[in-house]
Amino acid sequence: MTIEIIPADHFTIQELTDLYNQTRVDYLVPMPMNADRLSEYVHDFDVDLHQSCVARDTDGQVLGLSMLGFRDKTAWITRLGVLPTSRRTGAGSKLMEHMLMNADRLGIQGTDLEVIKNNEPAYQLFLKKGFVEKDTYLVMRHAPRPMTIPKQGEVTWLNFHEALEKLEAYPQHLTWINALESMRNSPNTEGLHIRLANGGSGWLVYRNTKFTLRSTLSHLIIHTEQGQAEEIGTQLLSRLHTQYPHHDTYAENIHEADPHLLAFHALGYFTNFSRIEMRRPRP
Amino acid sequence: MAKILYIEDVQDNITFVEKVIRSRGHEFLFAKNAEAGLELAVTSQPDLILLDLGLPDADGQTLSVWLRSSPTLASTPIIVLTAWTQEVARQTVEAYNLNGYLCKPFSLKELVNMIDLVLGTQAA
Repeated sequence: MTIEIIPADHFTIQELTDLYNQTRVDYLVPMPMNADRLSEYVHDFDVDLHQSCVARDTDGQVLGLSMLGFRDKTAWITRLGVLPTSRRTGAGSKLMEHMLMNADRLGIQGTDLEVIKNNEPAYQLFLKKGFVEKDTYLVMRHAPRPMTIPKQGEVTWLNFHEALEKLEAYPQHLTWINALESMRNSPNTEGLHIRLANGGSGWLVYRNTKFTLRSTLSHLIIHTEQGQAEEIGTQLLSRLHTQYPHHDTYAENIHEADPHLLAFHALGYFTNFSRIEMRRPRP
Repeated sequence: MAKILYIEDVQDNITFVEKVIRSRGHEFLFAKNAEAGLELAVTSQPDLILLDLGLPDADGQTLSVWLRSSPTLASTPIIVLTAWTQEVARQTVEAYNLNGYLCKPFSLKELVNMIDLVLGTQAA
């Protein structure tokens, strides 16, 4: 089959959304989007639609798509998908080659991506294209529930700018979706800081996203400045959920060895799935 | 006869479930996204909600929170129909205070049994 690659900005957001949803209809973790959500995704994660690609055959039938984000000297491949009926045609491989060619042409030093754990065909494709596994991250959920943990310490709520200031000093690696740039791109970023009587302190930065009817909490990043991570994390999460008792919470890309994991579990978070972060240095 | 609302974005799944539900003599309603599903649930007050977890505007877990926070839907039975793993489906049902789950692909018989079980439980 002859496959043609076209820049994604030749298509409308609605067309890209429809195509993306069709590629994911039988996916391991179905994550359909609407046009508003895809637009927000493109904006928040610095996706460049001109460098992103759609694959189609010589009859003009679309086969799949892939998106490419850029920040400084790093690129990020995301939303790669091929229609179920067009798999094993080489479309996924061709899309990847074009993404990497675009990244190399722009002088990118390294390209990142995330693959859902146990998505073996995608994982093998990325290995073949020169990606190496870096770390594993958890995607966790928390349903609203009454908070019973006794409150300790003094809390300061952080506005957008104060939350970003904290995040600028974060010493660990963050994946693309939780990185400073992603949080800066969203007006929904806020946070809280806690100081305990025993001298412990830390902060939690998150997004408080407004839907038409309700809000949800997402993109949680916790940092312990001083003291025990479990204690600081438990207090921060407890305060957050006390403040927003009816919000559903989606904690994406928490490192599997994050020192605050016990706090997440103590608050009733459970894992939906895991992602593997992979990187390809410039050859 | 019960009024059953299915919130699901994939037309093939809607068609399959609609056939099953109508063949059992129930009234069938559907919505293809979370916002429309919530609106239809509030206005139609179904006896049972079948909920897909992967929806285009907000996922099913978030939608279940919205449904449960509506006073008239707080105790409406909700069954999750999902492509997620059994373990995630089980934890979701427990954490979000839902009534049951079926992991895709499920058979016609499994769907019928689950609906009968949940509606029967409600009647009792």
